[in-house]
Amino acid sequence: MGSVSPLLAEYGPAFVQALLLTWKLTALSFVSGFALGIVITVARLLPLRPLRFVLTLYVEVFRNIPSVALLIFIVFALPDLNVVIDYEPSVILTLCLVCSAFTADYLRTGINTVDGGQIDAARSLGMQPMTIITSVVLPQALRSVVQPMTSLLIALMLSTALASQVPLPGKELTALVAKIANDSAAGIAAFAVAAAMYLASGLIIAWAGATLDRKVRILR
Amino acid sequence: MSRALEDVLFGDLTHKAQAITRVVSVGVAAALLALIAAIVYRFQDAGQFAGRLWEFFAWETTWVFLGKGLLGTLASAAAAAVIALVLGLVLLVGRLSRLRIARWPAVAVIEFLRGVPTLLLIYVCFLVLPSVGIKLSAYWMLTLPVGLSTAAVVAEVYRAGVLAVPRGQTDAARALGLSKAQVFASIVFPQAFRYIVPALVAQLVIVVKDTTFGYVVTYGELMQNAKVLIANYRSLVPVYLVVAVLYCLVNYAISRASHRLGRPVY
Repeated sequence: MGSVSPLLAEYGPAFVQALLLTWKLTALSFVSGFALGIVITVARLLPLRPLRFVLTLYVEVFRNIPSVALLIFIVFALPDLNVVIDYEPSVILTLCLVCSAFTADYLRTGINTVDGGQIDAARSLGMQPMTIITSVVLPQALRSVVQPMTSLLIALMLSTALASQVPLPGKELTALVAKIANDSAAGIAAFAVAAAMYLASGLIIAWAGATLDRKVRILR
Repeated sequence: MSRALEDVLFGDLTHKAQAITRVVSVGVAAALLALIAAIVYRFQDAGQFAGRLWEFFAWETTWVFLGKGLLGTLASAAAAAVIALVLGLVLLVGRLSRLRIARWPAVAVIEFLRGVPTLLLIYVCFLVLPSVGIKLSAYWMLTLPVGLSTAAVVAEVYRAGVLAVPRGQTDAARALGLSKAQVFASIVFPQAFRYIVPALVAQLVIVVKDTTFGYVVTYGELMQNAKVLIANYRSLVPVYLVVAVLYCLVNYAISRASHRLGRPVY
């Protein structure tokens, strides 16, 4: 690894910036996608047929479409429909849509772990359906999906690599490696540094997720 | 509890509540139709319904070309899946080994391949390997990285399956005099494999999605062929829409298959 230190001397700040951009894209798309996923999950519970149908379609579409195809559509095809979104918001929007579909899917599974008897009990206490959803069902569902959501967050963090497919003003890790490999012979060293950064980010998320899970898990 | 939660929540509404629900449903349907109308208007307004942009979809050659792309996608996905299944098994055996010299490298490889984006591995095969004298064809520049990163996930899926096989079976088989390798090959792994078939098929969806990066290395898969069509006919929105629908259909079919396989066999 003798080639890593000259690389860091030249590209060190660029790597730090790339890592921060990767984290920023991850955080923004996860927070927005998670919130949207919760809204979709709740809306899918309402007894409104057309809404349920459309949201199920939404979840299936965004779970099954490759993120790159979605990103390319948003960046290159939407301007033909006079919808122009800047590159960075496009990346965040893409990941947010995909994240929300998976969140809705996982939360649905989490909701199914809540016993119907609890709902009966809450209703017999005179609680309104929306109150039951927000104060009985969702808290338990959220606590049961910490593990899948951790995996989703890691997958999302790795997916930010697709930002290298659009001319973002700043470079995230994968785009930086591609640039360095194009410009110089330091490709392998750059790859090693970026890989270490991805691995470290993944480990931090996994550790945080495991800690949170231990705190909030419901023992049945 | 076999009752669906929403049925318990809204199971026995009063007549008044039912009436309100019906009215709101109609309102929602109207709003959704308005949304569709707005999108259609947007297409019309931007001139996206012009015959020039859609007419080539009536030509057989277009579909043959897209079909070739889809075949390219499936060919790459299939080979990547085979790599993943085989290498995943190798990694699993290493991971479960009691020898540290086999276990540690296996753990390191699994964690490394799982923790790095597939796209980054593709760039390594595409940009870095040629500079050290290793030249791969476009097909392998896509298939190898996808297969490698899937192999690590598959190894973990295998492991979950193996751990789900009751420990008593291993003990019983060992007591009957089978060697460790025999126990693994003929008792544990066949059962573990049946547990995890749905998870493996579901993984195939991710493989198909990852092959979308084929256009990065100009391998002729669906996305790459779509780009060629766009360059020929200057028709961005229609082509990308059709391709997105194709991807969704393929992956949805795989997901459904995975669900069917997941149902218990009696």
